[in-house]
Amino acid sequence: MNVQDLIKNYGSKTVVDEVSFQVPKGKVLSLIGPNGAGKSTVMGMISRLVARDAGIIHFEDKDLNKWKSKELAKKLAILTQHNNVQLKLTVRELVSFGRFPYSGSHLTKEDKEIVDKAIAYMELESIEDRFIDELSGGQRQRAYIAMVIAQDTDYILFDEPTNNLDIYHASNLMRMVRRLCDELGKTVILVLHEINYAAFYSDYVCAFADGKIAKFGTVEEVINKECLHDIYKVDFEIINVKGKPLSVYY
Amino acid sequence: MSNEERKKRRRRNRTVYLILIISVLASVVGYLLFNSYLSKPKLFQYILGLRLPTLVCMVIAAVAIGAATLIFQSIVNNQIVTPALLGMNSIYTFLHTAVVFVVGTGSPLYLNPNLSFCVDLITMGIVATLVYWYLFKKTGHNILYIMLIGTVLSSFFGSIQSSMIRIMEPDEYDTLLTTLVADFNNVNGEIITIAIVCLLLIGIFLIPDLRQLDVIAMGRNQAINLGVDYDHAIRRLLFGVVLCIAVATATIGPVSFLGLIVANLSRQIMKTYKHTHLIFGASLLGMIALVGGQMISQHIFHFTVPVSTFVTIGGGIYFLYLLLYKKGANS
Amino acid sequence: MKYKSTIILFIILIILAIMSLFMGATDIGISTLISGEKSIYSDIFLLARIPRLLAILCTGVGMSVAGLIMQQLCMNKFVSPTTGATIQSAEFGIALAMIAFPTMGLAVRTIFAFILAIVGTLLFVFFIQRIKFKDAVLVPLIGIMFGNIIGGITNFLGYQWEITQQLSTYFSGSFSLILQGNYELVYLVVPLIILAFIYANHFNIVGMGEDFSKNLGINYQGILILGLSISAVITASIIVVVGQISYIGLIVPNLVVLFKGDKIRGTLIDTALFGAIFVLLCDMIARSIIKPYEVPIELIVGSVGSVIFIIMLFYKLNGGRKVAVNEQ
Repeated sequence: MNVQDLIKNYGSKTVVDEVSFQVPKGKVLSLIGPNGAGKSTVMGMISRLVARDAGIIHFEDKDLNKWKSKELAKKLAILTQHNNVQLKLTVRELVSFGRFPYSGSHLTKEDKEIVDKAIAYMELESIEDRFIDELSGGQRQRAYIAMVIAQDTDYILFDEPTNNLDIYHASNLMRMVRRLCDELGKTVILVLHEINYAAFYSDYVCAFADGKIAKFGTVEEVINKECLHDIYKVDFEIINVKGKPLSVYY
Repeated sequence: MSNEERKKRRRRNRTVYLILIISVLASVVGYLLFNSYLSKPKLFQYILGLRLPTLVCMVIAAVAIGAATLIFQSIVNNQIVTPALLGMNSIYTFLHTAVVFVVGTGSPLYLNPNLSFCVDLITMGIVATLVYWYLFKKTGHNILYIMLIGTVLSSFFGSIQSSMIRIMEPDEYDTLLTTLVADFNNVNGEIITIAIVCLLLIGIFLIPDLRQLDVIAMGRNQAINLGVDYDHAIRRLLFGVVLCIAVATATIGPVSFLGLIVANLSRQIMKTYKHTHLIFGASLLGMIALVGGQMISQHIFHFTVPVSTFVTIGGGIYFLYLLLYKKGANS
Repeated sequence: MKYKSTIILFIILIILAIMSLFMGATDIGISTLISGEKSIYSDIFLLARIPRLLAILCTGVGMSVAGLIMQQLCMNKFVSPTTGATIQSAEFGIALAMIAFPTMGLAVRTIFAFILAIVGTLLFVFFIQRIKFKDAVLVPLIGIMFGNIIGGITNFLGYQWEITQQLSTYFSGSFSLILQGNYELVYLVVPLIILAFIYANHFNIVGMGEDFSKNLGINYQGILILGLSISAVITASIIVVVGQISYIGLIVPNLVVLFKGDKIRGTLIDTALFGAIFVLLCDMIARSIIKPYEVPIELIVGSVGSVIFIIMLFYKLNGGRKVAVNEQ
């Protein structure tokens, strides 16, 4: 996936200004930056949820807008923060929706196997018949991830997935993201607020400030004193933990 | 264990359906036969001839309102709003009056009910779809604004419609009003056939979109993620909703809160996300409410109080309850 | 100049008022009047046209001030007699009076309308205060529903006692039946507005909230009830005489605030004048569309008013969006 000169304006304000980068295939890429830096808007445009004002997004040698919605849904999945939870939908039914781009609402035998696998992968067997509005936040999040797994796409996009999760569930989720990449060979793009999650679980980091890319590179290239100070305007200490840069600020 | 649970759920659903269907049949039979002078065949036939068209109209309206409301709620992702609350009824009566206003009361467009209905359907399909599509776009699907603007729109179209009737017939205002706007005690029996045909056509037109509706109900982001061509699907569904409301309003006149009540009840008792089931349940509930209500109105209140009055009072209170304690789905 | 807008509005009002006096089914030239002969023309003038004009002025002034007070007290731009259940409560009162004392006249109906309008408005306001909404738009929505329910009950009573016809003629706002001798009740608006003017600053403070008012030594509940009662009684007296006219109380104060800012004393007179102009204009439209008949003014105000209200909502929506983006 290749992003070129992306621009988005809200009214007279430019929130994303000529952003260009290349998404490394088969890796985990984190988008970080302060509030209002434009990272979520970029994510929205990459995932076709937000219309772009200018720029090109090439996805597998074809402009994103030229893709048929259904075909794209087999290649690229996005999980946003806010999901409707009031439906009388069981976990299994939710995960089955992941097969919707392939078979609509009538599942084939193969679809059912994929759904079973996704449920097993996220360890949801014990609650697969519960309604999602009865689940805890962490369980529901896992159910949605299982759906995305069942969707079986090469690219998976997460928009602030750790929001509203406690430390236990958030770190579990990040480990899961790592597994999606390492075990299933997915390309994962995340929008993250916590710099340390980005540092510990991703391969590449793209830092935004004021609607522009401040720095794009490997974890070591971006997560260092100078770079973080430029982005967040706060002093950071970097401590090396297990070979990864842990940033501390106060 | 989980298999057992699924079986239990299926059994429960079957019981729910059974109870609903029995209740519908009971209210239908009750409505037709209560005080119908079975012992005097001539009189019985006469009464049946009066009641049957009303019954059919109410059934048509129940299906149309149930379907329209459920689809609409899933489109806007909120379980408090209904097409009627947003003034779709008023747009229909307004357009109908506007057509008569333009062509005059001597034209076949007014005198021939079938022709008149078709013209109304076409104008409604175009005008209302555009109005609400614009409203969605402009407010960015902000549900509170949509609701408030909808309620205001409804009084706007109501005022214009009344003004037009005044201008047409300042002296005969009330007479023209009753011939232009159907109500429970004055159903539009002449268009039964064409209304049924329309409903069927709408159904066929919407079948592919109904499958997507289950996904659309999960919200815009999720629907797009799962490969739904969102804007296109919404426009088609909205078009269907608008036509359903036109059919319902043309046959039994405007009923504001019926959709709200049956759609939410259906969601509560059917315990499923599948829209085919939900719509079916809402239609049955609508029949029970309309036919049963009409029976009570006829035999307990002796026609003095129309059913719509009860629906308005009960529905209004229910709406406030939903607004305050549920706040609809996520916003 | 501080009073520029007030003076301009006043001049416009005078011009429109004079135009309105010479409009109608019978042509009356100024010369006929000046000639001083007592004739059918001067009778029409004195018994019908002047009372009508005065009723229109009182309605416009009264409804818009009633709306302004409610908006100030609730600190919500979308509250008004239309969206705060006041109108429907007053009508409910009139229906009750008609059923309970069918033979008694205007006085009983008026008293019932006053009481019910006050009770209904207070109920609504206490209700929304108890719940403390974050969202400004939810409040009018609840008010409209509240009004719908009360209207539904009124309808039910109407059907049950077979006075539906009577009620619907009674409630549909129209100035066509205003004659000398049956409209004087609307003059009640004048002392009430003077009272409102005296307490204007208090209303402003109460609008800032309970703690704020207590801090300044103001009896919060007392002033709140006083203010709401004033607007309820104004509304009710207009309904008894003219019938229901929606949206004035909602739109006029908002349009004036756009130009003049939020201080109630500064805007009260402008609001009153502008309200009178608005109703007068609508009345002139209502009378000229289907001469020699007239369209009930409620319909004209309803159409014009709802369009303006929707434009206001879009305006707020766009403004709100800009703010949201800036905060990001």
